[in-house]
Amino acid sequence: MIVSRNWLQKYFDQPLPSADVVTDAFTFHSFEIEEQDGDRMDVKVLPNRAADCLCHRGIAKDLAAILDLPFKNDPLRTPIQNGDFVSPHLRVEIEDGKKCLRYVGALVKGVKIGPSPMWLREAIEAVGQRSINNIVDATNFVMLNIGQPMHAFDATKLVEKDEAFTIGVRGAKKEEKITTLSGEEFILPEGTLLITDENADIPIGIAGVKGGMHAEITSATTDIVVESANFDCTTIRRAAQALKLPTEASLRFQNRPSPELAAYGMRDVLALIQEIAGGEVIGVIDVYPTRSEKIQEVSVSLAKINGVLGVNFSKEEVADAFRRLDLDTKIDGETFTVTPSFERNDIQIPEDLIEEVGRILGYDRVSIVELPPAAEKPNQARYRGIERVKDFLIDHGFTEISTQSFAKKGDIILANPLDKTKPALRATLSENMKEALERAKYFAPLVLAPNEKPKLFEIGTIFTKDGEKLAVETSEPVPGLPAIQDDENYEPKQYHLGAYKPFSLYPFITRDIALWLPSDADDGLTRSIIRENAGEFLIRLDQFDRFEKEGKTSLAFRLVFQSFDRTLTDDEVNVIMQKITEALTEKKYEVR
Amino acid sequence: MHEGRLHPISVAIREIADIFGRMGFSVVQGPELETEHYNFDALNIPADHPSRDMWDTFWVKTKEGEERKLMRTHTSPMQIRWLEKHGAPTRIIVPGKVFRNEATDMTHEAQFYQLEGLAVDTNITLGHLKGILERFCKEYFGSEAKVRLRPSFFPFTEPSVEVDVWFSAQNKWLEVMGAGMVHPKVLENAGIDATKYQGFAFGLGIERFVMIKYGIPDIRLFHSGDIRFVYGFDEKKI
Repeated sequence: MIVSRNWLQKYFDQPLPSADVVTDAFTFHSFEIEEQDGDRMDVKVLPNRAADCLCHRGIAKDLAAILDLPFKNDPLRTPIQNGDFVSPHLRVEIEDGKKCLRYVGALVKGVKIGPSPMWLREAIEAVGQRSINNIVDATNFVMLNIGQPMHAFDATKLVEKDEAFTIGVRGAKKEEKITTLSGEEFILPEGTLLITDENADIPIGIAGVKGGMHAEITSATTDIVVESANFDCTTIRRAAQALKLPTEASLRFQNRPSPELAAYGMRDVLALIQEIAGGEVIGVIDVYPTRSEKIQEVSVSLAKINGVLGVNFSKEEVADAFRRLDLDTKIDGETFTVTPSFERNDIQIPEDLIEEVGRILGYDRVSIVELPPAAEKPNQARYRGIERVKDFLIDHGFTEISTQSFAKKGDIILANPLDKTKPALRATLSENMKEALERAKYFAPLVLAPNEKPKLFEIGTIFTKDGEKLAVETSEPVPGLPAIQDDENYEPKQYHLGAYKPFSLYPFITRDIALWLPSDADDGLTRSIIRENAGEFLIRLDQFDRFEKEGKTSLAFRLVFQSFDRTLTDDEVNVIMQKITEALTEKKYEVR
Repeated sequence: MHEGRLHPISVAIREIADIFGRMGFSVVQGPELETEHYNFDALNIPADHPSRDMWDTFWVKTKEGEERKLMRTHTSPMQIRWLEKHGAPTRIIVPGKVFRNEATDMTHEAQFYQLEGLAVDTNITLGHLKGILERFCKEYFGSEAKVRLRPSFFPFTEPSVEVDVWFSAQNKWLEVMGAGMVHPKVLENAGIDATKYQGFAFGLGIERFVMIKYGIPDIRLFHSGDIRFVYGFDEKKI
């Protein structure tokens, strides 16, 4: 969620501390800050807080708790008329109260559409949104401020019957179509929740996702119907996914904001519209078919908090954390009973309260405690048995590889493969082994001596009709290869690895050289002469032959050349070999 | 005859199993082809819940009426499977391959190894989690490593934390794993009495640990089947 620091500041009298302090406050007590650039911050709101924190009020409220700053003008704490309003001029028909949990609508006449005042344009643009006109901006502002998605329809495009407009909320019929505000036409999956002009039976919006073109606010609009509703999270999530149309509204609805919020949204947006676009509120209707049950209290004891976090918080500290969070708390002895405010619908079990206390007081206060000895002896037999087979193979010259589990063919098929050429789960390791061995043979001069050939193995899971199992694959038969068996007493060999040395992606060139040594030379000296004259492209030097005849010694070496940033040519390697040959000849070597 | 080479993932798992073995942890394995129940539902990640978006999933074609199956997106299903089978108290680590249906790049692979850790007992605290993780990181990365916890969210832990490790050589903190106290619903789903037992769980990407420790630039090297990668280290038996 992109947040403006100036916007947050509106909730505080005292100036907010520096950007670094604010970033640290969020990072260590609530959310990561993905990016911070001047006034703008990208706050990574966690999924459990997306119901109350995808808005400036929610983020500011958490900051107030973290920094213990006085929070002013909380829009969700000021009293509100929160009843079942009806209006003779605006009706709402909800087909399924489990899908539309609440619908607050208002009819406003005589508004003047125009550009937004400067403060509003700046506020909207500061968080990367586009200013459209005063009415649309007002609905977006309220959403960005308190988290309630809103929408405004042009009432003059709707059909009036018996001096009343009727908003319908119903599932889409088979192959019903809608053109959205962006001009895109969608053929809707049956049942997609729609907002309709009930009197004309015309869809005017995809509920909780996007408004329709039919009742778009234009410069000619004078009368509007404003919507502040709450839709079932799953219904909205499925619609946005099916239509591939994730929006600011659908993102919020799928995170289950409280239906209580809808009334606050309507109150704020009507006030703002009248302030910046004039008009008269003709009627407000509030249909609340599944009014939430009373908010459940959650209790937790001081002992439980300290016993889960491994801390020694005092009763006063815990009480203070709840006070900073503005949570209505009763304290009875050492038990805290919290009635969460309606927007904090993430607080449901004692552990949720423990997390609140832990993060506000700080996880840096959790001390490091060693685990007591375990009650039972650890069982690592299966793992050790597998590693024993690996060690056997390594002793026999095999190198372990690891390959991908997806294959061209197999018994079990992926429903949504990433690589369409490999849609199956591997039923064997042998295909990958063949491929890996071919490549290993090609690259062998880079990693193996000339008289060594690559031998590979893989131990990995294969998937067949009979289920999955661990398979052992080797690039050639291995006499005496043991089967995998549990073995608690086997100690797998431990290795020390050096820092990783990247390999070049360019081709390499190999050259062999055989020579008779002068009487005063030996193998080591010969190596150094070759190295000194080979230059930076020599990446490997292996001696692969040595014999003595009539008192003279013959050596043979393989040289591998490769560059990290280009393809070497035969000609340049020939020049290097010529230089080596000349240097050796000068030292009385006889190059054959 | 020359000896072969052990893959760096195996080298790491051996080192990690040894460290945790000394702290009383067993090593267990679980299926890579997993049911929706164990991978999601039992871990308090209901269908159609936005938290499912945290895991891009490879689904497997199943027959009508058959339970939905997928390539496990994490090693956490073994928390449930193991607790159902073994009960509490217990301490396990679970190394294994996991799958994410997402585009690959230098730091993302669709297939990688994860290590799950789980300890359940009557009095396990977040302080014990910090304790074992700090000891583990000191033994694995070096004695100057230390850990810090930040708030996070996972549906199967409450409270949830992100774990950073301090690397004095680079003079910085790196985020290395997610962890938390096992959610009471997860314990109950596995048949454990959550009023009596509590515990911690953590999950780390093994490739990421190996990449940090040895300076490997690209995660896609690990499961490429390319011997040049396995030979990219000086390997000494201890």
